[in-house]
Amino acid sequence: MKTVRVEMAISRGRGGSIDPPRFERFTVDATEAMSVLDALEQIRLHHDPALAYRHSCHHGACGTCACRINDVERLACTTRLSELGSDRITIEPLTGFRRIADLAVDMTALFRDIDPYWSCLKPSEPIPGACPDSTSLLRLEDCIECGARVSACPAAHAAEPFMGPAALAALHSELTKNPAASDRLLAAAGSERGERRCRRALACSRVCPTRVYPARRIGGLRRQLSGRGPGRSRGGIEGPWREGEK
Amino acid sequence: MEHVLIIGGGTGGALAHDLTLRGFRVTLVERGELLSGTTGRHHGLLHSGARYVLHDPRAARECWRENQILRRLAPQAIEPNGGLFVALCEEDLTHMGPFLEGCAAAGIPARPISARRARALEPNLTPDLRAAVEVPDAAMDAWRLPMHFFATARANGADIRTFTVVTGIRAAGRCITGVELLDLCRHRAFFLEADLVVNAAGPWSGAIAAMAGIKVPVQPAPGVMVALAGRLTQRVINRLQPAGEGDIIVPQRRLSILGTTAWLAQGPDAIEGPPEDHVRRLFDLAGRMVPAVTGFAPHAAWCACRPLLKAVEEDNPWHISRTFDCLDHAVRDGIEGLVTLIGGKATTMRAMAEQTADLICRKIGRNVAGRTHATPLLLYRHFWREEMTR
Repeated sequence: MKTVRVEMAISRGRGGSIDPPRFERFTVDATEAMSVLDALEQIRLHHDPALAYRHSCHHGACGTCACRINDVERLACTTRLSELGSDRITIEPLTGFRRIADLAVDMTALFRDIDPYWSCLKPSEPIPGACPDSTSLLRLEDCIECGARVSACPAAHAAEPFMGPAALAALHSELTKNPAASDRLLAAAGSERGERRCRRALACSRVCPTRVYPARRIGGLRRQLSGRGPGRSRGGIEGPWREGEK
Repeated sequence: MEHVLIIGGGTGGALAHDLTLRGFRVTLVERGELLSGTTGRHHGLLHSGARYVLHDPRAARECWRENQILRRLAPQAIEPNGGLFVALCEEDLTHMGPFLEGCAAAGIPARPISARRARALEPNLTPDLRAAVEVPDAAMDAWRLPMHFFATARANGADIRTFTVVTGIRAAGRCITGVELLDLCRHRAFFLEADLVVNAAGPWSGAIAAMAGIKVPVQPAPGVMVALAGRLTQRVINRLQPAGEGDIIVPQRRLSILGTTAWLAQGPDAIEGPPEDHVRRLFDLAGRMVPAVTGFAPHAAWCACRPLLKAVEEDNPWHISRTFDCLDHAVRDGIEGLVTLIGGKATTMRAMAEQTADLICRKIGRNVAGRTHATPLLLYRHFWREEMTR
């Protein structure tokens, strides 16, 4: 099997310990199909069993393995080494989350403004040609809560507190499914920590691995909030969004 | 209150939940992130049990019971769209009678439908389809469903420590007293006393048992899965054949997961990524059921290592039962204070935990019944409602 030697510079360090952040270099012989996560697994197995990183599903459904790969937020499991176009790769933890150890971060901050009870399911899009009695089918939401968008968002790291693009997109999604709660949800979106802190950098939509397009959703919230007088709710939400729109 | 220390953040999550409900003090240690070994890596099938009716009726009944319970306990982590078993040739049709009888015997609702009806429901099924059977399969979120157990266990007082590696098991004579650990977050070694240690390390349970000088009948059996970036069906699609390679497509979100292959391995770590020929075979076999899969490149291809319970010598991984067992090493090996949990699958994790907790209660002499079948679970997001680590 043809392999290419790749140098991986991995950010190491443990939060709160006398162990300052630094890069440590490892080499792996990468096949065409090898993912960044496969490479991390090999390094842990063959070079350093103490290397800490988060992972679970290995196919882009759980969202645990998001990290900064060559300065861009990506999922390690669905990023192939060969697609990065370089034989030198840097891997760092997400920005804006407390580092537990090495690449592993504590996701508590992501969930601060996401209600645990917001729905995780939505109607499944019909498959072309299917008979119409399949309308009650459900599927899991696109957002896998990986933290990539929050890490990429410049406003999320500013001094002013901001709930961030993940929470706002989740809020927008809940609003479409639960219009009865629109007063409460729009109040949260319009709060000091809400939509007003977004700088329209669109970094969230660029890095989102599951095409949730948070910037577009924040735009939807903005339009709803601007048409809403104090203490009143217009209810409802614009949509559906066109595929490919940011 | 007795302190139970669970090794392994997979099925161990369901056990931590069960034991905290029964009033035990629980600590769970996992060497990496939770669910990073086997439990979080599967294709996401919430089994109806129908896959096992032809050769493993016990596993079939266990799956169907747990399928119904998990739909009630964690509906937000399940796509409840059902499944189809599809017959593509004469040989497949010969399995139809025994399959329907097996489903009836296990109590699994199964309804034969015509090829035409099946293709109306799932237009991407092959035009070669001969017949199909509807079964109550579902797709689960392999990370979020088990995280419901961890979230609830933690809210009920379980101490869950990730990135904590077991480096040794300490005993006084023939009684286990606790576990030596290395905390990768603080880079500190420490010892944790326990009244009872549960080895729930899945395919790594052999290595943990070896630290106590014990051999356990676990057979690591890795398999390959492939995810495609397109949802081709609403329902789980299974081939109407005895369990074998490439017999399932599980839809989830906007993905389709092709499963799976199986081989017997010496150890759980000796896998250098998914073999390319396995990936090709999965495309070929899944493509016979849903031809459109062959138009996709892999979104991801990965391995997961099943921890099979090896009750008898058997070289064919498809013939080893998917049932589970919990071993009391006091009875089996004369070592007190250690229990090992082997086998099973994600669908049956709650039942595995319940039987293990029953065994622990019998050993300790506590008469507390399990309540997890009827106790609502917190949604997984509750896990991060406070600081995750110490």
